[in-house]
Amino acid sequence: MKKSNSVGRGAFRVFIYVFCIFLAILSLFPFVIMFINATRSTFEIQQNGISLLPSRYLASNYAVFTGKTFDPLKGFYNSAIISTGSTALAIYFSTLTAYAVVAYSWKMRQAFFSMILAVMMIPAQVTSIGFYQFMYRIGMTNNFLALILPSIAAPATVFFMRQYMLASLPLELVDSARIDGSGEFNTFNWIILPIMKPAIATQAIFTFVASWNNLFLPLILLTNNDKYTLPIMVSLLRGDIYRTEYGAVYLGLALTVLPLFIIYFMLSKYIIAGVALGGVKG
Amino acid sequence: MMKKTLSLLLVLSLLLGLGLTPVLAESKETINLWAFTDEVPKMLERYLELNPEFAAKYEVKTTIIATTDGAYQPALDQALAASGADAPDIYCAEAAFVLKYTQGDASSYAAPYKDLGIDVSAVETSEIAQYTVDIGTNPNGDLVALGYQATGGAFIYRRSIAKEVFGTDDPAEIGAKVGPGWDKFLEAAEALREKGYGIVSGDGDIWHAVENSSELGWVVDGKLNFDPNREEFIDISMLLKEKDLYNDTQDWTDAWFADMKGEGAKGIFGFFGPAWLINYVMAGNSGGTKAGEGTYGDWAVCAPPVGFFWGGTWLLASASSEKKEAVGELINWITLDSSDTGLQYHWANGTLYGEGGTKDTVASGVVMAKSDGSLEFLGGQNMFDVFVPANEFANGNNMTQYDETINRYWRDSVRMYTSGQISREEAVALFKQNVADNLDVIVE
Amino acid sequence: MKKRKRLSYAKYGYIFSIPFVTAFIIFSLYPTIYTAFIGFTDLKGLLKTSINILQDPFANFRLILNNASFKLSLVNTLKIWMINFIPQILLALILTAWFTSNHNKIKGQGFFKVVFYMPNIITAATIAILFNVLFGYPMGPVNDALVKTGVLSQAYYFLTDKSASQLIIAFIQFWMWYGYTMIILISGVLGINPEIFEAADIDGANDVQTFLYITLPNLRTILLFVLITSMIGGLNMFDIPKLFNLGMPGNATLTTSLFIYNQAFSGSYLYNRAAAASMIMFVIIAVLSIGVFLLMRDKKDVQEKKEARKLARQIRRGELHKEEATK
Repeated sequence: MKKSNSVGRGAFRVFIYVFCIFLAILSLFPFVIMFINATRSTFEIQQNGISLLPSRYLASNYAVFTGKTFDPLKGFYNSAIISTGSTALAIYFSTLTAYAVVAYSWKMRQAFFSMILAVMMIPAQVTSIGFYQFMYRIGMTNNFLALILPSIAAPATVFFMRQYMLASLPLELVDSARIDGSGEFNTFNWIILPIMKPAIATQAIFTFVASWNNLFLPLILLTNNDKYTLPIMVSLLRGDIYRTEYGAVYLGLALTVLPLFIIYFMLSKYIIAGVALGGVKG
Repeated sequence: MMKKTLSLLLVLSLLLGLGLTPVLAESKETINLWAFTDEVPKMLERYLELNPEFAAKYEVKTTIIATTDGAYQPALDQALAASGADAPDIYCAEAAFVLKYTQGDASSYAAPYKDLGIDVSAVETSEIAQYTVDIGTNPNGDLVALGYQATGGAFIYRRSIAKEVFGTDDPAEIGAKVGPGWDKFLEAAEALREKGYGIVSGDGDIWHAVENSSELGWVVDGKLNFDPNREEFIDISMLLKEKDLYNDTQDWTDAWFADMKGEGAKGIFGFFGPAWLINYVMAGNSGGTKAGEGTYGDWAVCAPPVGFFWGGTWLLASASSEKKEAVGELINWITLDSSDTGLQYHWANGTLYGEGGTKDTVASGVVMAKSDGSLEFLGGQNMFDVFVPANEFANGNNMTQYDETINRYWRDSVRMYTSGQISREEAVALFKQNVADNLDVIVE
Repeated sequence: MKKRKRLSYAKYGYIFSIPFVTAFIIFSLYPTIYTAFIGFTDLKGLLKTSINILQDPFANFRLILNNASFKLSLVNTLKIWMINFIPQILLALILTAWFTSNHNKIKGQGFFKVVFYMPNIITAATIAILFNVLFGYPMGPVNDALVKTGVLSQAYYFLTDKSASQLIIAFIQFWMWYGYTMIILISGVLGINPEIFEAADIDGANDVQTFLYITLPNLRTILLFVLITSMIGGLNMFDIPKLFNLGMPGNATLTTSLFIYNQAFSGSYLYNRAAAASMIMFVIIAVLSIGVFLLMRDKKDVQEKKEARKLARQIRRGELHKEEATK
C-alpha cells in the first residue's frame, strides 16, 4: 500500500518536471528567437521570420542601430531614470496608501478604497489623450516628470498591497511600536516597509517592466531627440513600411530587454526563496 | 490649489535634478522640423553642410516621431494647434495621411508655397509629377505640399519567365501582354499558369493598382462611394484564387518575400511596385547581390495594366512660421529645384552622400530625363524610361483621409471571402457595416 | 484621553492618503472627467475649436449602444477573456500548489518560477509579430509543421478563421500572464502564517487537503485581487489584438478598447463617441467588479467564522500531538 503510493508519487513528480520543462521552453522561446534574429540581416528575417540558426550580421545591425540620429546609450539612461523614478514612487506611495487604508480606521476609508478600485477600471485609451492635451497645455512635454509623477497614484499596486497586508500584516506589531514610542511615520518606514519586502519586490518588478516597455505615452510626450527612451528608438527603426530594419529592430529589442533581465534576476530571490513574513511574529 | 501643485511639481523636479529644459541663449535662429523618419532630417543636415552661409544663420531642430501606433499624427496635430516655440516650421506627411494636412481637417495649418517666397511656376518648368501636385493643392487652389520622390508604379517581372512563356523579355512587348486593363492581365495569367507559373504573389500585389483605377475616392460628400472598379477587387481576387493564378500570399509576410527569391510554391512572374520597392525590398530579398545570384539581374520593369502610385513623403510649411523665407529656401531645394545641385538630382542618381547611393525616382521629370536610372538588378535597364510615364498615369484625385481605414476593411472582407469563410454578399455587407460603425460616413 | 488618541491615529489615514489623492486628481481624475464630459458634446473632427453640449445629451450613448460593432466587441472581449482566464488561473493555482508544497520539494523550482514570468517581460508588439509569423500562410512554422506531420493536407489560413484568431489571442494572453498570476499567488501563500501549515502538517493533512482547506481560504484576498485586476485588464485588452491583426478577421478579435481607439483615431476623429463608449465600458466593468466583490465578501464572513473554528480545532489538536510527542 505504502509502496504503490510512493511509486505513484514518483510518477507524479516526473509528470510535474516534464510539464514544467515544457512550459519553460514555451516561455524562453521568444527570447531565443529575438536574440537569434538580432544576428540576422533584415532580408534573412523577411524570408524566414523564425530561425534557430544565428547568422553573422550582429555588427552591421549594431551599426544601423547606432547610425541613426539618436544615441542608444542616452536612450538607456533616459529609460533608466523614468523607470526607476516611477517604480520608486509607485512602490513607496502605494504601500503608504494601502497602509493608510488597512492600519487606520477613518471615516472615509471605505469610500476611498472604492474610489481606488474605480480608478483602476477606467479604460486607458481615451483618457491618455486627455492626459496628453493637459500635459501639453502646462508645458510638461519633453519632461520626464510627466511620466514619473503619475506613478504616485498607482491603483492596482495599492490594491495589491492592501490585499497583502490584510492577509499578512500583524497589526499587533503596530501597537507594540506605539507602545515603544515610535511615531506613525517612522513605524511605517522602519517597521512596515521591511515586512512588506516580498510584496514590494513582486510589484517593483511588474511596475518596472511596465514602465520600461511603455511606448505610447513616451512616444507622444517626448519629442526631443535627447529625451527618447529605448522603446522609442526601436520604434523609429520601424517607422516606415518600406525601410524597416528588422535586424536592427530585433537587436534593439534584445538590448532593451537585457536591463530587465538584470532587474528581474536581482529581485527574483524574493520570488524564489520567499521571505515568509508570517514568521515575523510568533 | 493650482499654484500649490505647480510649486510642488517644481520642488519635486529640483529634488530629482531633472529641472525643466533650460533655455539656451542662441544667436542662430531655429527651424523646427517634424518628420516620421530620418530621411528628410538627413537631407536638411546635408543642405546645411553644402551651404555654410545658410548654416551660419539657421539651425534645424528635428523632431522625429514614428508612425508606429499612430503616434505621429496626434502629436503633430497638437503641436500645430498650439503654435508655440516648439511648433513645427516644416513638417512631413506620408501618402497614407497627407490628404488630412493638404485638403482635409488640418489643411488650414499649411502655408501656401507662394507665401514662402517660392516660385510655384517651377511646377511646370521642372515637370513635377501631376499627381503629387494634385495631392498637395488645398481646397483654395493653392499649392501647400510637394514631395521629392515620385512613386508611380510599374509591373516588375522576371525576364527568364517572360522568355519562356512569351518568347521575349522586352519591356514594351511584355507591357502590351499584361495590359492595359485587367482582362489582358488575366489572359496573360492563364498563359503563365499553363507553364506552371503564377502571375503575382498575392492579392495585395494588385490592390494598389485596383485602388488607383477609381475616379473618385472612398468618400464623396460624406457618403461611402463604393466604386465598381474597387468592388471588382473581390472578383479579381477570387478569380486568381479559383484558377490558381497566384501563390495566395499576403503582402509583407514571409511567403511574399520568398516569392521574390523564386522560392514559393510556384514561380511568380511579377510584382506591382514603385522604384522604392525595387531598391529597398526586392533587391535585398532576391537572394543575391550581383547578376546571376538568386533572382538578381533577372528582373525588368514595364508599364502596369492600370496606372498607380504607392507611398511617398510630402513637405509642408506651417502658416504660423516666422521664418518663412528660410523655410521656403529649404523646401524649394528639396521639392522644386531641378538643377544639378538640387536635391532631386542627387536623389535620382544616388549621389547625395557621394557616388554609389540608391537611385530613386523623383518628382521632377526634367531631373529624371537627365539622370541615369539603369540598375544591375534590372539587367541594366534604365528604369526611369518606364517610371516617368508611370508617374503621369498615377491619379491623385481619388484619395481621402479615410483611405487607410477603409482599405483595411475592404481587404479584410475580400480575404475572408477568397479563403472561403464567408460569401460574397456577406463580405460586402461586413465591409459596409464596418465603415458605418467606425467612421462618420453615411453608408447607403 | 484614550478616545483622543484614537482620533489622532485616524488622522494619519488621511495624511498618508494625500500624495495618492493629489497625483490622482491631477493626472487621472481631470483627464477622466474631461473624457466623460466629451461624451455629451459634439466634439469630433480635428479642428473643432468650440465644444457644445448636444441638444440631446445622450445621443452619443444611444449611437454606441446601437452600434453593431460595439456589441460584437463586447461579446468578443468577454469571450476572449474567459477563454484565457479560466485555464490561466487554474494553471497558476496548480503551479502554486506544486511550488509551495512542503512535501513535494520540486528541484529547480526557483528556475521555473523565474522563467514562467518571462513572457511578460517582452513588449506586446514583439509577441504579436512573433505569433503572426508563426501562423503565417501559405508558409509559416505552424503550417509547415502541421503539413509535414500529416495533420493537415494543405496549409490552413488561420488568420482568416474567426475562431482560430480568437483562440490565438486568448492563448497569447494566457501564455503572457499565467506566470504573473502564479507569482502573485505564491507571494500570497508566502504571506500566510506558517504555523497554520505546520498545524495542518502535524495533523497529517496531505498536499491536496492542505491546499484546498488551508491555502485557498487564506488566499482569498489575493485571489480577489487577481480576479478583479485580470477582469479589468482583460476587458481593457488592447495591445495584442491591435498588433496581432487589427481586430480582423471580420472583427472577430475586435475588443471594446480597440473599438474605442478606432472611433477616435481611424479617420473620423469621433472623440465624442469614443468618450461615450469609454464611459459605457467603465459602467460595465464597475458593475461586474462590484458583483465579484459582493460575491466574495458574502462568503467571507461565513468562512471566516468557519476558519477560526477550524484553526482553533487544529491548534488544539496540534498541541495534542505535541504533547503526545513529548511523552
